[in-house]
Amino acid sequence: MDFSEAADRISRKFQKSGQTVDPKKIEGKLRRLIEEFGVQPSEAERSVTNELNKEFNIPAMGTGGGASGGGGGTAEKKIADAAPGEWVTIEGKIVALAAPASPAIAQGGIIADESGAIRFVAWAKANAPAMAQGSWYRIESAVVDEFKGIASLKIHSGTTIKEIDDDRALMPNTVPITGLHPGIGSIRAKVVQEWDASHERMLQSGLLGDETGTIKFVIWKEPGKESLAPGSVYNIFYALVDEYNGRLSLNLNTAMIMQEEGDIAVSGGEAAVSGAIVHVAPGSGIIKRCPVEGCNRALSRQNYCPVHEIQPKFTYDLRIKGWLDDGEKTHSVLLQRDVVESLTGISLDAAKEIAENNPLGMDEVFLQMRDKVLGRYITCHGREIDNRVLVNKCERVAFESGKHAALLNRAGGAS
Amino acid sequence: MSTPAREMGRKDGSFEREPARRVFASELRECRYQFKDGEEEKSPTFVLLPTGERCNRIFIVGTLTEKQRQGDQNIFYRGRIVDPTGTFFIMAGSYQPEAMQQLAKIETPAFVAVIGKPSLYRKDEASTPMVSVRVESINIVDKATRDLWVLDTAERTLDRIDEFAVGTGPDVVKAKEQYPTIDPVTFRKIAYDALAQIKM
Repeated sequence: MDFSEAADRISRKFQKSGQTVDPKKIEGKLRRLIEEFGVQPSEAERSVTNELNKEFNIPAMGTGGGASGGGGGTAEKKIADAAPGEWVTIEGKIVALAAPASPAIAQGGIIADESGAIRFVAWAKANAPAMAQGSWYRIESAVVDEFKGIASLKIHSGTTIKEIDDDRALMPNTVPITGLHPGIGSIRAKVVQEWDASHERMLQSGLLGDETGTIKFVIWKEPGKESLAPGSVYNIFYALVDEYNGRLSLNLNTAMIMQEEGDIAVSGGEAAVSGAIVHVAPGSGIIKRCPVEGCNRALSRQNYCPVHEIQPKFTYDLRIKGWLDDGEKTHSVLLQRDVVESLTGISLDAAKEIAENNPLGMDEVFLQMRDKVLGRYITCHGREIDNRVLVNKCERVAFESGKHAALLNRAGGAS
Repeated sequence: MSTPAREMGRKDGSFEREPARRVFASELRECRYQFKDGEEEKSPTFVLLPTGERCNRIFIVGTLTEKQRQGDQNIFYRGRIVDPTGTFFIMAGSYQPEAMQQLAKIETPAFVAVIGKPSLYRKDEASTPMVSVRVESINIVDKATRDLWVLDTAERTLDRIDEFAVGTGPDVVKAKEQYPTIDPVTFRKIAYDALAQIKM
C-alpha cells in the first residue's frame, strides 16, 4: 500500500502553518498504524495529524481530521449547540464543581454560558489548571462526548484553558419540567411531595412540580446541603437531569437553589394515554375503604384495614386498576370512581345494590365491569406518578374516518 | 451516579410489562423463529415477526368462528379467530382457568378481543411450525372495537415495515436473517386490504 500521497497531504498542511515535517517520517507513522495495528487509513491520517498538532501546539482540527483542512481551530460554539462527537471551543462560567469520582479525573462539574450548561470532566492526565467555581474560562479544543444520552465536555491534554477576567452576567434559563432532557436543567418548581429516604446517604427525595408536570428529585448527603421545605417554591439552577428506565429525575447536589415567594399551580404531569385495556386487575370494581379520618385505605374482604384493623362501618368506593396498552408500552392506570361510573355505566349505588344482593357479591361487580372495559380502546387523562396514571377523565376512542383514509393512502400509496 | 439510579429502580419496581403487539393473522402465521431473552428459567419467550419486531404478547380483535373442547383429563379449549387477513389459532387450558371459562361461555360467532402469548409448535418433527396463541384474557366486544383494532394494527404494521426498510436494530437484522424469503412489503398490501374491508 502506498502511503506517500497521504503523507504529502499531511506534510503540506503543516507547511501552511509554517512547520516542516519530513513526509518520510509521516509515512512511517501511517504505515505502522495501518499495517501493524490495522487502523483504518482515514483514522490513521487523523491520528497522525492530531499527534503533530500536539507536537507543534496547533489546536486540533476536529474529527474531520485530514479532510477538514485550513488551519483554523475548533469551532467556537455556544454550549447549547455543542453536539456529541465535536471538538469545540467555548467560553463559560463554572457554576458547579463536584468531587471527582475517580483518580483518573482531576475535576468535574458544570460549565454554563447564556445558551445553556454542560457537564465537564478534566482528566488527571490532561494536567489542566484547576478551575474555580464562579469564574469564567475560555476552553479551547475540548471534546464533547456522550454517555447514556448525556453530553459532557472532556478536557484532555490537547485542551487549553484560559481564565477570562470580566465577570459577565449569567442568568440561567429555566425550562418547564416537561421540557427537561438528560444533562443539565434549570427549573422553577414547588416541592409537592417528600418521600422517606430509601438510602442512608440520601438527605431528601420527593417530587417537584410546576405548571407542566412533576419530576422526582434527590439530594445526597454532603456538607452544606439542606433539605427543601415541602410546599415551598424554589428556583433551581443547574441540576443534573438523569434518566433511568426512560424516566427523568433531578439530582440537586450540583444545583444552585433559591427559595422564592409565591405559589405554583402544579399540574400533575397531565398525561394522556390511549390504547386498549389489556388487563383488569384484582381489587377493581367495588371496594370498601377505611372510614378513619385521613386513612381511606382499601379494606380486605373481612373489613380489615392494615392500620386501623377491623372497620365494620366502612364506606364503598369504585375503582378500576388495570393496564392500558398502546402496542409499544403498557401503562398502569387507576380509574377513580366517577371515571369508572361514566365508563361502565354502573353507578356506585347500582354497584352497592349488586354487591349486597347478588350471590357473587362484590365479585359480580368486578365481572360486570371487566366485561365492559376489557379489550376496549380508551383514552385516559390524568396525573402520572411513578409510572401509574391516576385517571380523572377518560373517553372511548372513536373511529376517525380521516385516520382511516390516511392509513389507506399510506398503505396503498408507497407500494 | 449508578447508586441513585439503582435505588430509584428498586423503589418504583423497575418491572415493565411486555406490551401487547398488534399484528394481523397473515403476518403472525409466517413466524418461524422463537427465542428466549436471557438465560433464566423465567426469562420471557418471544416470537419474531417477519417485519422485525419481537413479541411476547399480542392483542387481537376478530371474530371467534369456532371453539372446541378437547382433552379428557386436562381439559382445554381451542378456538379460531378470524381477522380481515386470516386466522389466529388460540387455546386456553387449565393453567388459564379464567380465560378458559370465558372462552367456554362465549357463543360463536362473536367479535372478541384476546390478549395472549404467541408460541410456535409442531405437530411432529417433520411438519412446519404453527403459531398458536395462549389466551390470557378474552372478552366479547363490538364491531366498533374491531374496526379500531384494524386501524391500530394497520398503523403498527406500516410502522414496522418502514422501520424494517431503514432499521438496523438487532430484531430487524435477525428478521432479515430468519426470513430471507419474506419481503415485508407484502404486508403493506395486506394492511391495505384489511383497511379497505372497513365499510364506512
